[in-house]
Amino acid sequence: MGIVIAVISGKGGVGKTTATANLGLGIAMNEKKCVVVDFDIGQRNLDMILGLENRVVYDMVQVMDEEASLKQALIKSKANENLHFLAASQTKDKSVLDSDKVAKLVAELKESFDFVILDAPAGIESGYEHTIEFADAAIVVVNPEVSSIRDADRAIGILDSKSAKVKKGEDVAKYLIINRIVADMVESGEMLKSDDILEILNIKLLGKIPEDRGVIDASNQGKPVILDKKSIAGQAYTRISGRLCGQKVDMKNIEISDAGLFKRIAGIFK
Amino acid sequence: MQSKQYSIKVYETTITDEQKFMDFFDSNYTLFKDHLIVIEGDFSQTIQQYLEAKDLKYLHNIVLPKGRTRKALEEELQAEKIDVAVSQQIAQNELKRLSNQLQNNLTVLDEMIRSGRELDIEGDLLLLNRVNSGATIKTSGNLIITKVVEGAIRCHGNFMMLTASPKANIVFHDVEVDNTLLEDRLNRVELKNNEIIITPVLKKEINWAL
Repeated sequence: MGIVIAVISGKGGVGKTTATANLGLGIAMNEKKCVVVDFDIGQRNLDMILGLENRVVYDMVQVMDEEASLKQALIKSKANENLHFLAASQTKDKSVLDSDKVAKLVAELKESFDFVILDAPAGIESGYEHTIEFADAAIVVVNPEVSSIRDADRAIGILDSKSAKVKKGEDVAKYLIINRIVADMVESGEMLKSDDILEILNIKLLGKIPEDRGVIDASNQGKPVILDKKSIAGQAYTRISGRLCGQKVDMKNIEISDAGLFKRIAGIFK
Repeated sequence: MQSKQYSIKVYETTITDEQKFMDFFDSNYTLFKDHLIVIEGDFSQTIQQYLEAKDLKYLHNIVLPKGRTRKALEEELQAEKIDVAVSQQIAQNELKRLSNQLQNNLTVLDEMIRSGRELDIEGDLLLLNRVNSGATIKTSGNLIITKVVEGAIRCHGNFMMLTASPKANIVFHDVEVDNTLLEDRLNRVELKNNEIIITPVLKKEINWAL
């Protein structure tokens, strides 16, 4: 029996889908069976970031409507055979989802995979509510800026009131990923510090990802950045995937720039 | 203080016909010369001169205490006593009801108020956690928040207690509070004569070890 994790953010464009693709691949690289599901019905992107856009034949809506079997719709990743992908429908809209269908699909996926990662749509509408409804845990992706934090706060609030687990009186585990951190800007006070973000959101920190120019190119090419061993963002995703798979990986402080680090070292020798 | 007590006889009348009045007093002068004459309504200069000439003592438009029996007096006193007791009982019940209401209506919360949440509290609220940006708290009673507020507050109670909250939007009795005046400790906010008074109450950190 696997664990269902929803990747949420509230605000759009903070890196939810990128995080989903990279974490899915990272978990697969740790020899765990993992499936990533795109819940952004009508605006699917995950297929492109995973480089699987021309392999999609059936989507999750067709599976839920029993027009196709789950086996037919699941696409195996080229990069790692442990990673599978289930596409969102590009032609339908969010209104096709209903709780019973989602529950059935999630239960079915849980049986055959160790990790079921659901990529939530931006916003807090019905599509979002269906994504979090049957999740055991949530990964909240934010950027170090106030609008992202506030939207994430709202999304967490909805998670805490609408999730099926909460309604049963249990807790939904919530983990935070702070994405696109620029060390110089944190040092100069232009960007929010992760401690401040953690104080506002009050959930556990899963990891910090530095800003990396390579991410956009990686997405465009359909090769998640985690495959690039030299990329700093890729390394951060590797660390986070390790933590998700139960390894003890120390938190790396990426909020000090190389210049700042150099100054500190110089300070020691003064 | 020295005083003397008399019982006097009073003749109470109204004047409709001046001539008849004077004739009446002329013929009954011996009977009424020791009476106090009380006249209701207006009377003319002629009557005044007549009364003064006859050396009759008079009062004009006055209500004199009428004699009452002892029994009537006692009954009246008793009724007054009951009235006082009843009104005291009512006041006590009212107080009790109010204080019960205060006790029942105190809400204590220790949870983060996240963005988008709107709390509408009937009565007092003690909140031991943050209020995040985008959240709203309304109370009809007093409000105490021990951690930082970044959302909106609408309070209609007698007072508020808040810590420094530079990003908050605080409205107290429909008046916006200047939150730069809140110091980095608990501050009491009250409304006195349509003016908002902010008093810092507790030091920032309490040394419990002492």
